[in-house]
Amino acid sequence: MAEAASGSADKSVQVKLVLLGEAAVGKSSVVLRFVANEFQANKEPTIGAAFLTQKCRLEDRVLRYEIWDTAGQERFHSLAPMYYRNAQAAVVVYDITKAASLEKAKTWVKELQRQANPNIVIALAGNKLDLVQPSPSASGGSAESEDEADDATATPGEEPSSGEAAESLRQVPREEAQAYAQEAGLLFFETSAKTGEGVVEVFTEIAKRIPIEHILASSRGGAGRPGAGSGRTDGAQGGVNLQENQAKGKDACNC
Amino acid sequence: MATISAHLRNFKEPDREEQTILFFSIPSEPKPPLTKDGKPPLPREGEERMEINAVLSLGVQGEEDAYAGKLYLLPPYLAFASVDRRSVRFTIPLCTIRRVERLNARAGVYALSLSLWHGMKIIVQLTTLRPTADLFSALLRDALKLELQVGRMRAVKAFSKTCYSEVLLSGSSPVAEGEREDGSLINSEKAGEDGQLSYHGGLGLRFKFPGDPKKLREASKTKLWTNYLKTRGRHLTLLRYPQCTRLVQVGLPNRLRGEMWETLSGSIFLRFDSPGLYEKLLEDNKGRVNTSTEEIEKDLHRSLPEYAAYQSEEGIGALRRVLQAFSFKNPDTGYCQAMNILAAAILIYMSEEQAFWLLEVICDRLLPGYYSTSMHGTLLDQRVFESLVTRCLPMIHDHFTEVDVQLSVASLPWFLSLFINSMPMVFAFRIVDCFFCMGPKVLFQVGYVLPPDEIPQRPYVSLQLRSILKINGEKLLQIQDDGQFIHLMRDYFSSLGESAHPDSSDPRARAITRFQELLLVSFREFAIITDDTITSERRKFRSEVVTSIESFSKRSAIRNLRSLERFTKEQVGFIYDALFKAVCVEPPPQPVAPPPSLLATKDAPEERPETRIELKTFRVFLSEIATWARDEKIVVNGFQRRVDREVAEHEFIDRLFFFWDSSFRGSLSLQDLVTGLDGVMFNGLMESIEWFFNLHDKNKDGYLTKDEVLTLSESLLFIFRFEIGDAYLGAISRFMSNAFEYGDALLPPAAEDFPETQIESNQPYLNLATFRMVILAEEALETFFETDLSASFRLEPVPLMDLPPAISSNGLLGGLWSSITSDDNKKLFHKFSDELGRAVGRHQVIHKPSIGRFTNIEEPRPRESLLTPAMRRSASRSSLTSPSDTDVPKSSSSLLAPTSTVEGMTPPPVPQKRQDRDMESIAESFGALSMVQAANAALMERTPFAIDDAKDDEDDSDLDSEVAEDDGVLDEVDAFLEAHDTSGLSDADKALAKDLVNAEPVE
Repeated sequence: MAEAASGSADKSVQVKLVLLGEAAVGKSSVVLRFVANEFQANKEPTIGAAFLTQKCRLEDRVLRYEIWDTAGQERFHSLAPMYYRNAQAAVVVYDITKAASLEKAKTWVKELQRQANPNIVIALAGNKLDLVQPSPSASGGSAESEDEADDATATPGEEPSSGEAAESLRQVPREEAQAYAQEAGLLFFETSAKTGEGVVEVFTEIAKRIPIEHILASSRGGAGRPGAGSGRTDGAQGGVNLQENQAKGKDACNC
Repeated sequence: MATISAHLRNFKEPDREEQTILFFSIPSEPKPPLTKDGKPPLPREGEERMEINAVLSLGVQGEEDAYAGKLYLLPPYLAFASVDRRSVRFTIPLCTIRRVERLNARAGVYALSLSLWHGMKIIVQLTTLRPTADLFSALLRDALKLELQVGRMRAVKAFSKTCYSEVLLSGSSPVAEGEREDGSLINSEKAGEDGQLSYHGGLGLRFKFPGDPKKLREASKTKLWTNYLKTRGRHLTLLRYPQCTRLVQVGLPNRLRGEMWETLSGSIFLRFDSPGLYEKLLEDNKGRVNTSTEEIEKDLHRSLPEYAAYQSEEGIGALRRVLQAFSFKNPDTGYCQAMNILAAAILIYMSEEQAFWLLEVICDRLLPGYYSTSMHGTLLDQRVFESLVTRCLPMIHDHFTEVDVQLSVASLPWFLSLFINSMPMVFAFRIVDCFFCMGPKVLFQVGYVLPPDEIPQRPYVSLQLRSILKINGEKLLQIQDDGQFIHLMRDYFSSLGESAHPDSSDPRARAITRFQELLLVSFREFAIITDDTITSERRKFRSEVVTSIESFSKRSAIRNLRSLERFTKEQVGFIYDALFKAVCVEPPPQPVAPPPSLLATKDAPEERPETRIELKTFRVFLSEIATWARDEKIVVNGFQRRVDREVAEHEFIDRLFFFWDSSFRGSLSLQDLVTGLDGVMFNGLMESIEWFFNLHDKNKDGYLTKDEVLTLSESLLFIFRFEIGDAYLGAISRFMSNAFEYGDALLPPAAEDFPETQIESNQPYLNLATFRMVILAEEALETFFETDLSASFRLEPVPLMDLPPAISSNGLLGGLWSSITSDDNKKLFHKFSDELGRAVGRHQVIHKPSIGRFTNIEEPRPRESLLTPAMRRSASRSSLTSPSDTDVPKSSSSLLAPTSTVEGMTPPPVPQKRQDRDMESIAESFGALSMVQAANAALMERTPFAIDDAKDDEDDSDLDSEVAEDDGVLDEVDAFLEAHDTSGLSDADKALAKDLVNAEPVE
């Protein structure tokens, strides 16, 4: 039963990851970039939550991310526990051109640290980096302005014309967010789902931090089912995997 | 951030009449206020409601279908439902009735013929006794007369012009000329100019409707509907026969869809009732920016973006206006994601105004609470859905439980967006058709048919419920986690257009799409899910869901506090509970949005709502926490002992409210309350004194004025109002005399030359150090500030109201009591037993003390140990005015005397009841005290200071004597006062007092 269900390489480890953050900061766009390497302007708002999967190779380990992309609007907040329960990782997204979105991100972090899985790995991602970067080249200007901004929500006319104007759109200084992330023990990134900058790094850095041994151990134990990946690897096969991954885990630590 | 609302708690199941109104989709009007005796007012003439058994038939030759049922007169509507409440029903505004005739028929048959505005006739045979039928006819006549007076009859014709069905019927061919086959207009600009074509329509007219019109068989559907509407009425006067439901189930034709939606859902009545309201809302709120409008802006370009209209300003503008108008009309709900998708979808088929009203009906009636800020409706229905699956698909439920998959992860978006985002649009719209026709149960039925996947080699007609479960199960039972479940659902929905039986040899079976199969199974196999099932399931789970929402909002409210101060989480939890209870008892007024003209520009949008309580609610809140903020009376009436509890009102509580309102907004948030309580609950002696001082120092200049000293004393009297014995009373009176004594002593020397020129009562007078000293002179007050004040705030549930009955063996009342549950009945019972108690002379009321330090009327002596010898001297001087100084020893009762000289208070009030009265009289006299009196009082109090030490010793030695000779003492004192009227302190005394004032407090 388990083999049929997983249907993927035996080595892969399931990691449940949840995306949280204020409405229209680009959560779905970040996921879409990571999963399909696409960018879609005018993405429909997520109702409840969307579910996507993507594998991530890290050295010789393969992680299979099960990504829950949640709705951002305040009133959907009460549904969030349904999605972040059992999650081993979380990406809390904010919009670097909106100071308020960082505040919301902080409340999410607070909630995760108190309510979610105690070993959860949390990454803070400031999205829409493209909006504050100067256009890569003058020639690209026209093509650039045709495009929607990183997210559908960017109002027309916000497209920066020069580097200085672009930087002035930024409301959250990198240093400020980074300092907060350090203080709260989070991974920190600035990303652009539109250009793809920094997106993959978020997920690979999380992969490095995930306590894979822990996941496998708990899944082998079977009781309590703290991880979504459990139930997949049961019996002797799970035991073998555990051995392998423990060794690799040590390697990773040495890096 | 946090909003606390009790409206979830206060939900009431609709009563029978309200259910009828809901069933017939009649717009509900606000209930008239109850009359004085608590009964609803009598209906005015023409508004009386009545229901009557009747048989409905149409006055058409050859049409033999007559239906028995009930006819309801619900002014201004007339409604009918067949016995099974399903087959036939109608809701007709009375103003569309042009004529009512009593038919000449066989004897014993009482039939009315109703002619409607477009010439259609309905015949209702009233199958009741003659007098009842006569009464009904009379009421109907009155109601019609009233409609005529209001003049609504005239509006019907103009309104009908806005309906597409009129165009459809007036044209010779079922598909009006000038249309392409796909239903879009060849020359759409003409539409508005021609009077004939001024009907409301959606964006689809210009941007094409989704789907292939040939495949959808638009033409034949339109033809069928044209015939139906011709014979069975249309829009306002549509009669719903079984054929209507069947036609809806095969899918509405695109051009008629919008009108049918509003007709079937009843939103057409709202539009008819309030012409122009939509435009007015937009006009009145023009340029307004708030959280909702901001959230709407974010989502405008993200609503069905693949549909052409939503890539143009026309579609985006329409969507913006509809969503904004809704949020202006329903500020509590505002805007919820998923509403954008809903609105975008219905705007394809209907005008902005139609869409606005339809949205209103969806959010208010069809899916109540789905889009509210707590989304309680959604959560409730998810719970109901899960329960239904448990009941009817137990295998799937068991499997899901085993692998820990939550059904709602997939089903929540289905319900919220009516499947519009989940399956291809053409299919979703057909489900929406059924939804408006048959109600919310459709969502459950469809949601229920978790894919009837892979049903090969079996003719679907023979499917039994059991086999469907089994076959569905095959796939679902393999699911191991949430993700796979969602994948399976997504794949299934995207394959709805495919054949359900691709391998079948029968070409007709092959032609059946999975969607058709889905609908079929939904409606046929899950017909057991009725509106009643859902209503009762909702009732069952409501409190569970409400509790979980409340505990969630409690947790997040506490988490979102800036600071818990020195409280533990549990303690803050209790503060939250007290606040929540207060909000339930005394709901804070809805935040009224300032008029648009005063609104800030885009830069500063309206703030997020946060629950802030006002004074009224605060009193209730405080009564939950502070013992002195409630009046507790122990009532003993011979049959029972109970505590009657009321919220106290006093200026002191109001003062506390404004003291804690640090941001000067006239209201308090949870954070304000937590911070405020923190400011008092952890205080030791010195901090408590300082806190109390600051509380009364209104201008925060570090000095109390004379007025403020008086107010402060009143506050103390208020707190001690129910204490047993005179300890506090005496302490306060001495406190006052001391306060004025020292206060005057510390006045600048200029005052000495003109002793009469008193300092103004609103001038700075007493500083903290002096105040502290004066307080510490009284043991009772010291204890109060040391422990009792902070301990009087209790973060624990208020003890239950009812004490065990005093006479448990009382058969009659005891038995009665056990069967009483509701609060109202309890009150009635209390009243009853009180009266009974009075009759037998056993009624007794005792106030429960708030502090309860002194359990008898004994009182500690005024303290002297803390004072220096000089101070002791002055302290004893102050007590000179009391009888004890001469030849009467100190006893508890005599200590009140000092105030009696000033205020003329009646001496020794020993019995409890009398003391209470005296307390009040003191409080009253303080309140009424004018400035002059206060000054005089101060003067009077000052004189004892000058008395020499000689008598001091006697004071201590005569402790054991009895109370006596009050009058003699008073005379003496009076005489003394006259003699020493203007004498002040010696310079040495003053210097000493000053030193003391500046000295550090003794810990």
